[in-house]
Amino acid sequence: MNIPISPPPDNHLSSSGLSFERVSLRYGRDTEILTDVSFTLNQGSLNFVTGPSGAGKTSLLKLMYLHMRPSRGLINVFGHDTALLNRKDIPALKRRMGIVLQEFRLVDHLSVFENVALPLRVSGRPRREYVDDVVSLLQWVGLGERMGAMPQTLSGGEAQRAAIARAVIAKPDILIADEPTGNVDHEIGVRLIRLFSELNRLGTTVIIATHDLALIPDTANVLTLRHGTVIHKEAHRGSSS
Amino acid sequence: MEAHHKTWLKQEALLPADKPRDNPLFIVLAILAFLATLSLLSLKVSYQAAGHWSANLNETATVQIKPDATSDEAALVQMAQSAKDILLKSPNISGVDILPKAHSQALLRPWLGDAPLPDDLPLPTLLHVQLRPGQTLDVARLSSAFTAANLRVDIDNHAHWTKDLNRRARAAQLLAVFAFFLISVAISAACIFAIRAGITAQRKLMDVLHQIGAAPSYTARLFSSRFALGGFKAGCIGALGAFILLFLLSVFSETTGSDNYFIPGFAIGLQDVYLSILIPVFMALVSAVAAWHTVMKTLIAEMYS
Repeated sequence: MNIPISPPPDNHLSSSGLSFERVSLRYGRDTEILTDVSFTLNQGSLNFVTGPSGAGKTSLLKLMYLHMRPSRGLINVFGHDTALLNRKDIPALKRRMGIVLQEFRLVDHLSVFENVALPLRVSGRPRREYVDDVVSLLQWVGLGERMGAMPQTLSGGEAQRAAIARAVIAKPDILIADEPTGNVDHEIGVRLIRLFSELNRLGTTVIIATHDLALIPDTANVLTLRHGTVIHKEAHRGSSS
Repeated sequence: MEAHHKTWLKQEALLPADKPRDNPLFIVLAILAFLATLSLLSLKVSYQAAGHWSANLNETATVQIKPDATSDEAALVQMAQSAKDILLKSPNISGVDILPKAHSQALLRPWLGDAPLPDDLPLPTLLHVQLRPGQTLDVARLSSAFTAANLRVDIDNHAHWTKDLNRRARAAQLLAVFAFFLISVAISAACIFAIRAGITAQRKLMDVLHQIGAAPSYTARLFSSRFALGGFKAGCIGALGAFILLFLLSVFSETTGSDNYFIPGFAIGLQDVYLSILIPVFMALVSAVAAWHTVMKTLIAEMYS
């Protein structure tokens, strides 16, 4: 069953959306990490993946951001069947995604500004064109005074905001965040979720994995995993399907 | 915002110099470049020497007029002149020099020492024969002519020397080629090893670049240009060191001189500097290719597997 997303597109699968159809994932010969997972996320939706530790949230996200291939099933990203994807097509699709990982992954020898500007630099845009965009975004996430700081000097919350800024600077179609509040206190966690909601209001499809149910806003769609299977889908809170 | 423009216009290097890790590699590469240049210039010298030996021996001959018990000085001079006249009649011969007695005596010095030789010691008279380029000596015809003129003569057309020396020269050339090949392999192996270490040290950067959608070729280009530049710099220093050393040896061996006819000195001149330039270019190329291949292999193996 698909999670109904505000307003449903004319065709079943939006080219900016993401869908899983009976997807399973197995590492080597071990037990399946994910089993028969199916859902569709449409463009512009705010989505949360929840479940206890070991439920398969991170693995599900890895499949979404094309870090690994499923053992079985069909994944469709931006209208592309990932089973048919050539390896050389992956970078172009990944550039349409913003990814925030629990461990931030800021480059130690680059300043906050350079870390955030990295996706634009890699895409080959002239520096003069994006300096203002990076500065504006850093001010928006509250790092206006920390642009020249090195990652080692940032607090957990600052580092997480820098990682989020880097993920959204290139205006991705989808933002995928794995436990973005895992390393910060509740107050900063709430502020980060507010930041994600704000990005979502600007049109970005947002997918966040978290085990902290208290952080999920009422307007979000929720996918609950346990032992690698989807046990609950909820289109906005209160109306489960 | 203008102030920010000024502050952030200078771009930081994505792959900065990592001195603690780079310096040992730089030294190793410079030493390898030094050895590679020595090997390459030795290769050049050995080829040059082989050519020198062959040309000298192929285009010259020695005629030895043996004295008998009754020959006095005047008779020996007369016999040498007769032999020279016979030799000059041959169309293959361009010139004949009667070597002075001192020359024959000098040939005995390595065995008999510097002490004066007895005046009555019978020494052969030597004639140095210069052949026209590409011509050989007609030994049979000349022998007949000498016999007819009643001259006791030995003709050495250097053939047996040429054969032996050419074989040794070829061995020296092969040895130099092999040494150069081994050094090239060592340079490649050192580069690959260093690049793998570099990738391990910059694993996070690679992962981040991969995460934000950088094509593997972008990352590979980053590493290969960095290692190519390092290889070129180290190559320049090593090659320059080796060239200066060999050039000084060459100058030194020229000024001290040598009376050994068969061992040419270090014939390295400023015109050979182009060979030294090949080494840093080669090292830059090997480093770039090794870095490119290693990064691409690593990234593609991990990409969407």
